[in-house]
Amino acid sequence: MAEYSVVGKPVERTDGRIKATGSAKYAADLIAPGMLYGKLLRSPLAHAKILNIDATKAKALKGVKAVVTGKDFPGIPYGTRPDTRDQLPMPVTKVHHFGEGVVAVAAVDEDTAEEALDLIKVDYQELPVVLTAEDAMAPGAPLVNELSKSNIAYFSDFLFGDIEKGFKEADYIREETFSSQRVTVGFIEPHACLVEVDPTGRVLLQASKQSPYVTWRHMCRALDIPVSKMRIINPFVGGGFSGKHDPFDIDFATVKLAQMTGRPVKTVLNYDEVLAAYRQRNAMNAKLKMGLKKNGQITALRTECVLEGGPIAGIGPFNIYYFGAFQNVPYKIPAIEYHGKLTYSNRAPCGTVRGQEIVLAQYCLDSMLGIVAEDLGVDQVEIRHMNAVTNNWKAANGLIVDVSGLPECIEKCGKRIGWKESRTSRPKGRGIGFSCASHPSGVRLGGHFGSSVMLKLMEDGNVVVTHGGTEIGQGANTIFCQMTAEVLGIPFESVIQGVSDSDTTIFDSGMFGDRCTYWDGNATIAAAKDLKRQLAEIAGAELKVSPDDLEFKNSMIFLKENPEVKMDFLTASRRAYYEKGSPLYGRGYWAATDIDIVDWKTGRGNLAHGLDFIATGIKVDVDRETGKVTLLQGVSADDAGQPIHPVMLDGQVNGGSAHMTGHALLEDCLYDEKGRVLNGSWRDYKQPTALDTPEYIVEHVHTHDPYGPFGAKGAGEASSCSSLAAIANGIYDAVGVRIKDLPITPEKILAALKEKAKNSGKTGG
Amino acid sequence: MFIRRLPKFEYHSPASIAGVLGLLKKYGNKARIIAGGTDLLLAMKKRAVTPEHLVNVKNIKALKGISYDAKKGLKIGALVTCAELEESPLIKEKAPALWDAVYVMASPQVKTLATIGGNLCSAVPSADTAPPLIAMGAEAVLSGPKGEHIMAVEKLFKGPAESKVARSEILTHIRIPKQPERSCAAYLKLMRRAAMDLALVGVAAYVCLDADNKTCKEVRIALGAVAPTPIRAPMAEKLLSGKEISAALAEEAGKVAGTVCSPITDLRASLGYRCDMVEVLTRRAVMAALARINNRTTK
Repeated sequence: MAEYSVVGKPVERTDGRIKATGSAKYAADLIAPGMLYGKLLRSPLAHAKILNIDATKAKALKGVKAVVTGKDFPGIPYGTRPDTRDQLPMPVTKVHHFGEGVVAVAAVDEDTAEEALDLIKVDYQELPVVLTAEDAMAPGAPLVNELSKSNIAYFSDFLFGDIEKGFKEADYIREETFSSQRVTVGFIEPHACLVEVDPTGRVLLQASKQSPYVTWRHMCRALDIPVSKMRIINPFVGGGFSGKHDPFDIDFATVKLAQMTGRPVKTVLNYDEVLAAYRQRNAMNAKLKMGLKKNGQITALRTECVLEGGPIAGIGPFNIYYFGAFQNVPYKIPAIEYHGKLTYSNRAPCGTVRGQEIVLAQYCLDSMLGIVAEDLGVDQVEIRHMNAVTNNWKAANGLIVDVSGLPECIEKCGKRIGWKESRTSRPKGRGIGFSCASHPSGVRLGGHFGSSVMLKLMEDGNVVVTHGGTEIGQGANTIFCQMTAEVLGIPFESVIQGVSDSDTTIFDSGMFGDRCTYWDGNATIAAAKDLKRQLAEIAGAELKVSPDDLEFKNSMIFLKENPEVKMDFLTASRRAYYEKGSPLYGRGYWAATDIDIVDWKTGRGNLAHGLDFIATGIKVDVDRETGKVTLLQGVSADDAGQPIHPVMLDGQVNGGSAHMTGHALLEDCLYDEKGRVLNGSWRDYKQPTALDTPEYIVEHVHTHDPYGPFGAKGAGEASSCSSLAAIANGIYDAVGVRIKDLPITPEKILAALKEKAKNSGKTGG
Repeated sequence: MFIRRLPKFEYHSPASIAGVLGLLKKYGNKARIIAGGTDLLLAMKKRAVTPEHLVNVKNIKALKGISYDAKKGLKIGALVTCAELEESPLIKEKAPALWDAVYVMASPQVKTLATIGGNLCSAVPSADTAPPLIAMGAEAVLSGPKGEHIMAVEKLFKGPAESKVARSEILTHIRIPKQPERSCAAYLKLMRRAAMDLALVGVAAYVCLDADNKTCKEVRIALGAVAPTPIRAPMAEKLLSGKEISAALAEEAGKVAGTVCSPITDLRASLGYRCDMVEVLTRRAVMAALARINNRTTK
C-alpha cells in the first residue's frame, strides 16, 4: 500500500470550526442592501384548475413591491431528461399537489408579505385526485401532468441473461411482494435563496443547493436566458441527501421578483412547507420472483417495480433505471428480468433520498434473500457470501466489478456482530439481520456528465481549490484539499477551500450517487498535476534539470536522484509571480469516458467505475408486548477502496445507516383522501433521534480501485442501501414475524405476532 | 394551513400576582397568560388562538422555586421548568414519578422553557406531568379574584386543551403531599421514538403498602393520552387494593384499566393499540412502583 502524507489521515475538516461555532453563513443568513422578502401563497388543494388569480388588493398594500404567478414565466418546460421536460417554474393552468406555490409576493418585510398573501384570491375548480400508483394506472384516471399524455411518467423493461434457463435450473422458486412508503428527505436546513440582479440584468442566485449546476441549467432554460446571464454561488448548505438538486418554485419566484423590482429578494421556507410540498422518496410496490439452487446459489430473478413519484418525472427515470440496474449487484445473478414503472400522482413531487432507489431495490433483494435462506435452511451469512460478487466480475447487464471486497466485508461483519454465537443462544426477543449493498461511485448517465476543479496558486505558496462537487456536510471540501496537498507535497493547511461559483468552476453534474470523491477527486488530482507541471518547469529551468525528474514533498521541489538539488515550493511560487509575471492555475477535469453511457432502452452497459460495497448487520430487540423495536448494535464492514479521511468515512457509513432507521421504523408522509398532508410538522412526522440509533461499529476492508483517486471509491450511500433489509431481517430473527410493508411499526408487529400465535395455536391443536 | 409569523398582540409583564389578576380582569377572554410559551406561541403561529393581550408571568418570584416541608410535602411553583424539575435532587428523591415524566419529555431546549404550570394549564390529553401528579394525589393552588383556592390536579381538566382554571385565575403552584412510608409511584410513557415525542399512552401508578410490607393499602392509577383528559382507573385500583400485588394480579389490573380508556385513532396510533398498551403499561407501572418501594426498604 502506498505511503501518503495527507491522504488517509483524519485531518481537521475545513468547515469544522466554523460550523461547530455557529458562524457559518447559510442562504437564510445572507443579507443584501435594500433586500426585499419573498413569500409564497400555496395551494390548499392537491389537484385543481386555476380559474382566476386576483392580486389587486395585495399589489395595493403598502410595502408590497411585486407579485408573481406562473404566467410571468416564458412557459418553457424543463426536466431532467429531454424526453421528460414536464415542469414549469410555477403552475399556470392547474395545481398538481397540496402546497404547490401559486403566487409569490415581495415586500419590505415578512409581515407585510404575509399580509399580502391574505389579500390574494385564487379561484380553483377542484379536480379528482390521483394518490397512488394504482389510482394513476386505473382506466379513465384523470391526467396529473398537463404536459404529459399519460400518468406513466417513465418505464424500463430490461432482460439480462437467459431468464427461462435460470428459472429452469432453479431447485426452489419463491415470489414475494414488498412495499415502501413516502418519506421526506431529512436535511436540517429548509430551502432558502437570495437573488440579486445587476444593472446589466445578470442574475446572481445564492441558494441552498446540492447540485448547483443542475439548478443553474434548468433555471436558465425555463427563464429563457443564456447560462452566462446567470451566476450561481453556493453558500454553506445544511444537508442535501438528494433533496436539493433541482430548482423549485421559490427559486424561480425569487428570481422573477428580483427582476421585477430591481432589488435583492430573499425567500426562506419554514420546515412545514418543506414537509408538505417538496421532495420525498417515491412510494414503492415491488414483486420479486427468485430462483435458487438447493445450496442457496441464485439462478434467476424477476422483478417488477412501480414507483409513485408525484406530479413530475424529476429524477424519476434514474430511480426506475437504478432499481433495475442494481438487481445485478451485489450478488451474482446470471439472469434478470425487470419491469419498472414510474407513475405521476397528486402527492408532493419526488426526487429521492440518500442511496437513491437502490435503497428500495436492496431492501427487496436482501429481504428476499433472508426469506429464501430460511426456506432452504442455508445460513444467512453463508448465502450472502456464496452469492457475493468478486473481483473482475461482469454482471448480467454488463456492469464490470473491478475490485470487490464484499466477501471479506461479509465475513468481517458476521464475525464482529457475533452471528455464529447468536445461533447457539441469545436472549429472548433479540435477533440479528443482515443485508449487503453495492453503490456506484457516480454513474455515467449521459448528458452533461463530468467534474471540474480549478486550483489557484497564491504568491505566498498557498493554493485555493474551487470545484463543482458541492460541500453539503459530507466533507467534500476537506478531501479535495487533502488530495491537492498530497499531490503538491505541501501541508494540508496550505490548501484553502474557495467558493463554489459558476463564474469559475461549477461545471459538475451534481453531488449525488457517491460520485464526488471519485469524479471530483480525479479532477482534483488532474488539476494538481497540471499545477505541479508548471512549477516543475520553473524549478527545472533554474536547477538545470529535467522537470520530469523532480519530486514534490515537504514543501520542497527536488531531484529524485539527489535531494540536495532543490528549490522550496514558496520560492518556485514567487518565481512565477515576480519574475515571470505569471499567476499559476491548475486546471483539471474528469469524466469516466472509458465506460458506457447507459443505454436507457436495454439498461445494458458498464455504467460506472468504482462499485463500493458494504455488509451490514443489525442487532435488534423487539418488545413482544408493545411491538417496539430497539436497535442495539449496527456493524458495517465496507469496502470504499482507499479511505481518504477515515473518520469522515466512518461518519458517512454510520450516517447512512442511521438515516434509514427512520425509513425502516418511523417515518411516513401521510395524506388524507384529498391529498392534503396530515403530518407536516416535526412533531407528527417522526424522524429518528440519536437515541433511536444503535451503537455503530465500522470495519473497513481496504482495497485499491484502479480508477479511483488514490484507489478510493465513493461512500455514504451504500450503508443507506444495506440498512432497511438488515432491520427487517433482524426483526424476523428476533420474533419470527416478517413485515413487508414499510415502515415496520409496533402495531404491525403486534398484529403479526397475534396472527402467528393464533395460527400456531391451531396447528398445535 | 402553514405556520405563520406571530400575529400582533400587546405584551404585559406585571411583577406581582395581583398585577396579573388585574390584567386578566381588564382584558377577559382577550388575554392569555404566557409562561414558557412552548404551546401558546406555536398555537398563535398556527392561528389556532389569537389573543390580543399576552400577560407574561415570568417576572413573578412567587411563582418560582421548589421546596420541601417535612409535614406538608413538596411545593412546586407554577413557573418551575421541566429542566429544573429534572435537575432537582429533591424531585428525584421525593417525587420520582414526576421525574420520570420530565426526563422523557421534549428536547433540552424546550424543557428549559416549558413550565409545569403551562403543561397542566394547556391541558393536552398527553400532558406528561399530569398522570404522576394525579397518582401522587397532588393539588393545584389557584389564585383568582376571590382569593386562593385549591383543586386536586385530577379535577383540573375539562377536555382536550381545556382546563378548569378560569380565565380570571392563575395557577400559582402545585403541592404534592408528603408521601407515606412504604409508598412510591412510577410513570411510564410509550412513544414512537426514543425521545422528543408525545405519549401514545402514559401510565402512572402509585402504590402504598401496609405495615406488613406486602398488602396493598392504597393504589392510584392515572392514564394519559387515552381519553379527552387524564383519567384515573378506579376499577383497576379496586382490584389491587387490599391484596398482595403479584405480576399476575398486576396483569389483571392492566386488563381492567384497558377497558376504562376511551382513546382515539389518530396519526400516532390506533384506538385498539392504545387500549392494548394501557394494559401493558399499567402492569409495568404498578410493578415498577412496587419495585421502588422494595428497593427502598432493602436499602
